[in-house]
Amino acid sequence: MADEGQQQVDKAGRQIFKVPKEKLLEFMRARKDEGFNHLSLITGVDRKDHIEVVYHLHSVEQDRYIVVKTTTNNCTVPSVTSLWRSANWDEREQWDLMGIKFEGHPNLKRMFLPESWVGHPLRKDYDLGNVQYINMDEDGEDYSTFDPGDGW
Amino acid sequence: MDKVKDGDFGIITTTLENAMEWGRSNSLWPLTFGLACCAIEMMAMQGANYDVARFGSEIFRNSPRQSDLMIVAGTVTKKMAPRVKRLYDEMPFPKYVIAMGVCVIQGGPYVKGYSVVLGVDKVIPVDVYVPGCPPTPEALIFGITTLQKRIRGESDR
Repeated sequence: MADEGQQQVDKAGRQIFKVPKEKLLEFMRARKDEGFNHLSLITGVDRKDHIEVVYHLHSVEQDRYIVVKTTTNNCTVPSVTSLWRSANWDEREQWDLMGIKFEGHPNLKRMFLPESWVGHPLRKDYDLGNVQYINMDEDGEDYSTFDPGDGW
Repeated sequence: MDKVKDGDFGIITTTLENAMEWGRSNSLWPLTFGLACCAIEMMAMQGANYDVARFGSEIFRNSPRQSDLMIVAGTVTKKMAPRVKRLYDEMPFPKYVIAMGVCVIQGGPYVKGYSVVLGVDKVIPVDVYVPGCPPTPEALIFGITTLQKRIRGESDR
């Protein structure tokens, strides 16, 4: 495993692998075959000039925990839903809040916010001054609006 | 002198309005409704240690149609706000609202966030504000007794 990707160790003693996104899927498949059967979390870090995507992998049998990091300049990363089914919702959450597009995801819709929400709120360039509100229509579906209206 | 308590307290004269207000204030039935951590303190208030039943509002109703007090306990997110409003609309008159905790009063620690309503009074009218993060059960009981005084038309002090 040491020959693939740059390797570091974090404060908790976990190995960190930095992998280019072109090799991500291949790297992740090898890790899954190695026994990392639990994708603990996916998160994103906005570094302003690029976006970093972080995966925490856990092997239940071997009691091992590793961190895989990749970077992207155009906000697209290959999806790992084909390896771990739990990545489906994790990637939808990252699309919703960070605006990271996961290529090959079967159902890349927003997780928490309504589809009509403008922008991705955890990005550094998100405009907090442009306040958005959520209302509910007759069918109970949410929609976002810039006008507070009667519902507020 | 005969001191046997036979339950007879003679004759009381009052107005019907006063009697109604007295009854209403001592049978406040809150809605079972918690949004965040303040709800834990609300449950503690209802439990045996603090026992809000002493003040006549122990019966947390599961349906808004049977309750007349809404304790908004916890951060109101923008996504939850339309639901809060719908629950409030489903409650029958007379109905009262207690805003519990700073999140509900003005946004609290989330005041610079994108997802939190800055005060539930933007969505529904509020009668009593109980500050704290979270307020203690005693503070919430004080809020309820304040509301009861208000319903009876007495001074808050």
